[in-house]
Amino acid sequence: MSVTRRDFLIGSAALAAGATVTAPFLLPKYHSDRRPKRSRVAILNAQQYSQQLDQILATGLRFFPIDVRGKTVLLKPNLVDYIPGDAINTHPLLVLASAESFRRLGAKSVLVAEGPGHQRDTQLVLSQSGYQQSLSDEKIRFVDLNRDELIRTPLRASYTGMTHLWLPRTVLESDFLVSMPKIKAHHWSGVTLSMKNMFGVVPGARYGWPKNILHWKGIQESILDLCATVPVNFVIADGIVAMEGNGPLNGSARPLGKIVLADDPVAADATCSRLMGFEPDRIVHIRESARFLGNASPALIDQVGETANAPAAPFQVVSEFRFLHAF
Amino acid sequence: MPTVTTDPIVLSTLLAELAQRQLPCGGWAALASSSQPAIEPTCYSALVLGSAPVGDIERAQDFLLRTQNPNGSWPVFPGDDQEGGWVTSLAVMSLFDLVPAIPARLKGLHWLMSCVGREGNWFWKWKFRTADRHVRFDPDKFGWPWFPDTVSWVVPTAFSILALNQLPCSCGGLEKVPFRVERGVEMLLDRACPGGGWNAGNGVVYGTALEPHPDDTAIALLALSDRAQHSIVQNGVQYLERVAPTLTAPWSLSWAILALAAHLRPITSLHRSLVALPDLVSIDDTNTLALVCLALDFQRALSVFGVTL
Repeated sequence: MSVTRRDFLIGSAALAAGATVTAPFLLPKYHSDRRPKRSRVAILNAQQYSQQLDQILATGLRFFPIDVRGKTVLLKPNLVDYIPGDAINTHPLLVLASAESFRRLGAKSVLVAEGPGHQRDTQLVLSQSGYQQSLSDEKIRFVDLNRDELIRTPLRASYTGMTHLWLPRTVLESDFLVSMPKIKAHHWSGVTLSMKNMFGVVPGARYGWPKNILHWKGIQESILDLCATVPVNFVIADGIVAMEGNGPLNGSARPLGKIVLADDPVAADATCSRLMGFEPDRIVHIRESARFLGNASPALIDQVGETANAPAAPFQVVSEFRFLHAF
Repeated sequence: MPTVTTDPIVLSTLLAELAQRQLPCGGWAALASSSQPAIEPTCYSALVLGSAPVGDIERAQDFLLRTQNPNGSWPVFPGDDQEGGWVTSLAVMSLFDLVPAIPARLKGLHWLMSCVGREGNWFWKWKFRTADRHVRFDPDKFGWPWFPDTVSWVVPTAFSILALNQLPCSCGGLEKVPFRVERGVEMLLDRACPGGGWNAGNGVVYGTALEPHPDDTAIALLALSDRAQHSIVQNGVQYLERVAPTLTAPWSLSWAILALAAHLRPITSLHRSLVALPDLVSIDDTNTLALVCLALDFQRALSVFGVTL
């Protein structure tokens, strides 16, 4: 085969362009490898939001050797905005059931904290979405992370190029952080699961509504820096009614009938992606975080409860993310 | 102008609570439980207490003057990084009546003039026109970002317009103020939600019209109070009139009262609803507490925002 000068130039240009795009992810940009040897994920069946979630969750938590005795447990739901009838937010009944479970496991205190990314009036979102009444009834403290005291926090990875973020004291001082995402397709990041859910700890008062700097620094890169810096200790993902299509706000409700528990956010998100009919290796922040934060490979995940079968029809996504669909 | 009588006991109780939350440094924290002073709650509180017989307004103004960044901007809180942010417009308005603060205000206004949403730059304009078109907006119409190096958003643009509109003249290096204000107004009109009102600034994303927010709408309407006849402004007012009676959150309800009063709409029943909300005095968020006071004293509040009726 002969290679002309023109072929060579085109090939070189393509190689250079490819290297420019992929190079940022080839060099390690994390400070330490925190992957556990093995991770555990439990998939639980739950067809509807009901008082029985308490029981389902208690059963699921028994799969994990969690010790929260004497600890402050922070539940971080995905509470973005409120649109009547839309499956945008982690359901308050699941949050209440989680709080009750951790109290029973001996937690010193359980609080719920979130910094909504779209709506500045956090109390309005709380009241419209049913959280305010539920939390008040159960005497669970809520902290608005958009307004909390801030601490300058050096980042423990350098995917964005930022050296630090100002992060809420309540998050940094909690002993056990539980990310509670709503399982959703997302028009900018492909999926929004336990790791993307951590955008909510970035304070709006300091970074705006939406937290636009994270978009400009790269959503995937920001997820990696944030999750490297603020460890997620446990995941309880709400997939009872999930969202597909134009998420995180304007997608369609997609009943999935699942709750996913995990002791590793990377394993949780890889599993949720499979449940959505996506190939997790094609989601940049999942693939990259599997190099230093957790395990995405099924071979390294102890799967308990239900199996992580892909659905008959994968979750719909905006056209840019159709490549996520597993073949 | 709408006429509403506020129970003076309610207002004085809230003012006393607000005064009590003032920190020894002169500023206020965002949350009652916090001791970290911040600029936004300090500005709202200073605007409220400017004419009240409680609180130490001088210490509040000193705090604001002390915390200004060398580049003329204000940080979100003392100790923050020094590139400055959206609270600069609030700080400038909070120091409006203070003669010794004129140099600081001018520096703040110059910083505001230098702060441009990224779509004001030709390169990003080109990108938004060609490669990045999922959010529908006209990049020729730009305003102010929350923080430098990001695009324009509704709330920081509206507050910047309100601050710049308080300038008595466009001189002394501020000749381009009318141009920036006009561009900002165009930007607000461009970013409105198709069904009326505003959210943070994304009216249509991936072809889907997004929902407006009451507080963002109200703040935009305050900045557009001199464009009351524009159809987009009227749509915004109609949206706010529809949604305001359903609001039970004091932050949004207070902003709605201020905006509807600025657009000469009846607010008596909203005022009653606000006063009737439970536990106003124990609102944890000091921004909200101060804003409730502003809404209860709405005529003065509109004047401090430079809105003339």
